[in-house]
Amino acid sequence: MLVCYGGIVIGKMKLGNLLRDWRMIILIVVLLMTIIAIKPMPWNKGIEVVKVNQKELLEQGMSSGEIIKSINGKEIENLKDFNVELGNKIEITTNKGNYAYLGTELDVVVKDVDKSKIKKGLDLAGGTRVLLKPKEKVTEQQMDNLNAIMKTRLDVYGLSDLNIRKANDLSGNKFLLVEISGATKEEVKELIGQQGKFEAKIGDEVVFVGEKEDIRNVCKDDGSCSGVSQCNIVDNGQQCRFQFQVTLSNDAAKKHAEVTSKLEANESNGEYLSKKIDFYLDNELVDSLFIGADLKGVETTDILISGPGLGSTRDEAIKDALMNMNKLQTILMVGSLPFELEIVKMDSISPRLGMEFFKNIFLVGGLAILGVALVIFVRYRKFKIVIPIIVTMISEIFIIIGVAAFIGWRLDLAAIAGILASVGTGVDDQIVITDEVMSGETAYDWKEKLKKAFFIIFVAYFGTVVAMLPLWNAGAGLVRGFALTTIIGVTIGVFITRPAFASMIEKLLKD
Amino acid sequence: MDKEELYKKHYKKLFVIPIILLLLSIIFIYNFNNKHGDIVNKDISLKGGITATVYVENVNTNELEVFLDSKFNDILIRRLSEFGSGKDIGFIIEAGDIDEKELRSVLEEKVGKISDENFSVEKTGSSLGKSFYKEMLKAVLFAFLLMAAVVFIAFRTFIPSMAVVSAALLDIIITLAIVDLIGVKISVAGIAAFMLLIGYSIDTDILLTTRMLKRKEGELFDRMIGAIKTGLTMTAATMVALSIAFIFSNSLILKQMFLIILIGLLIDIISTYFMNAGVLWWYCNRKNEAR
Repeated sequence: MLVCYGGIVIGKMKLGNLLRDWRMIILIVVLLMTIIAIKPMPWNKGIEVVKVNQKELLEQGMSSGEIIKSINGKEIENLKDFNVELGNKIEITTNKGNYAYLGTELDVVVKDVDKSKIKKGLDLAGGTRVLLKPKEKVTEQQMDNLNAIMKTRLDVYGLSDLNIRKANDLSGNKFLLVEISGATKEEVKELIGQQGKFEAKIGDEVVFVGEKEDIRNVCKDDGSCSGVSQCNIVDNGQQCRFQFQVTLSNDAAKKHAEVTSKLEANESNGEYLSKKIDFYLDNELVDSLFIGADLKGVETTDILISGPGLGSTRDEAIKDALMNMNKLQTILMVGSLPFELEIVKMDSISPRLGMEFFKNIFLVGGLAILGVALVIFVRYRKFKIVIPIIVTMISEIFIIIGVAAFIGWRLDLAAIAGILASVGTGVDDQIVITDEVMSGETAYDWKEKLKKAFFIIFVAYFGTVVAMLPLWNAGAGLVRGFALTTIIGVTIGVFITRPAFASMIEKLLKD
Repeated sequence: MDKEELYKKHYKKLFVIPIILLLLSIIFIYNFNNKHGDIVNKDISLKGGITATVYVENVNTNELEVFLDSKFNDILIRRLSEFGSGKDIGFIIEAGDIDEKELRSVLEEKVGKISDENFSVEKTGSSLGKSFYKEMLKAVLFAFLLMAAVVFIAFRTFIPSMAVVSAALLDIIITLAIVDLIGVKISVAGIAAFMLLIGYSIDTDILLTTRMLKRKEGELFDRMIGAIKTGLTMTAATMVALSIAFIFSNSLILKQMFLIILIGLLIDIISTYFMNAGVLWWYCNRKNEAR
């Protein structure tokens, strides 16, 4: 009885001592901060709108970021619920309001709502990645400018779940990396890659261009001044036309009057003028329209811009036309990019592949930790050593993920590899500490022993950090995630978890 | 004592193993370079081209390969199976310069409808691939030089520092030869793994150097054995974790990184304990004699 009691007291004392050690206190505080940074919210329900393609919903003002709570009265908790039977009438309730329209289709890109602040990178969440390189030499400032315009352009187009960042390589080349979830590659290729220099010409004379000084307003997502009409059968399918209204500045309107006043009436059809107005995007003809004879010499500010959409069926052609219209509207609203770009790399990852990777990581991580535990147990035969090592490993993983969530870094496969790498180095260091403090009989004291262990750890630490530094920029920064998480991981290890581990092992082994 | 005597007598012979391995590796890499025009077997991410992953179940990949070979040249196909059940879940195609749309429509003839849901594609321009390759080689070189600087600053003695740096260089060269030999196509991530290997490689060397050079207590031989015991535990723990991760991971990128570090660590056992330990033993004894 007494022995038993004594044992408990010793246990409690040990734990009490441990919790009073500043090294443990720091670890516990950091772990608590990690929980705040990750902010787990498992109770969040619903699905988030990534992009609205449905015309009716656009017109009613639904935008990306809204959370769908129910469709046709059925509560929506996750992506599985999204495949509801649609009748002839669709009613949607989101956190921002209610939407309803007559129709049988619901074309909205969605994803599950975030259940924490952890952001998944492209190869885990699915999406499109584009690496762009300027065709000419540009300055850092021009790159900043490009970055801002690109962000606005994608945002106006209706894509907000994106990650844009500048990157340099070791040879001084500049790149822009754009990662977008929930958009198809075909859709964004032109939107991102095109400089977007728009010109409206009559003959050889430019009437107006697609920049702020000529275009005051663009009608977008408003059925009264934009839309798709006139579908007809062409060679290999159907063609539909879109049109939308733009408001020109007074100067541009004057220019229109001046150019049209020189034109004659069309010889074969007197209703129109002799020359057409041609719309060019990056020097390629988008469309060409007859100009009504009544517009001759008139200072008009309202102009209709049009273009085609193609598809094998009528529905596809309408969809294509809507997409083209949205692109052109976006380009006209935001203006062109400051210089020409080249798409040097383009990846699209299916959400399904991302999901497979994500599920797999937990399995791999868990088994690897068990494997390490087994090796440690075989060597030392003491749970007193195995348990602190596992606790340290898991704390480390947790804190790295927390830091990533805090700085808004997206965890992709490269980052996961970095986490595994730094935890691996961590285990190495813990073994060094354990052996150093267990090399029992010799005279020098605990502090001395730990000091020796930490010399080895610090040299190894700097060795790893400097080996990772060149990866920050190499290869346009595509492996930056790997370098970043490794550096964060080993740093956390050396300054936070290793001291705490030393404290644990010291207290547990001292008697 | 017997063991120590034995080691004293024969430790120089142990150098033979890493040196032979190094020479064989250099000859192999030299020949490899002559044959393939480069010291590494580069994958799509370093030479440009397309990697496509298609999730369509139960496709006969052999049949598909014959079919694709008749349509495109230089195309490679690999089966993807679900872990555990071994069920066919899709396949991966790698190809040089082909058009993605064309590939997609040709594939649809054989396997049915392909959508963005079940189709992933990575496309790297060939000039970008080449520049990535150059960049990554530069990065490895920088990483190596920086690591060497750290080692020299930490130990401030020429021969021991040189021994650590040489061991790391040996690890990289022999690992590269093995990776080339078993036919792994190296990606950007694979080269990043080599850089990580630099970090891992020096861990055990630093441990050994510190224990043998900077400590006074106990016999030199005992300190060395102690460091070897600690070092081997470290390597064993990392290798077990990496092997598990290599077997169970479903990402080819991660698999390749794990494999490269795994091979590197195996070589590191030889370079650290057969070479670096011997150099330090010789160095310490010479210093003691000089006193």
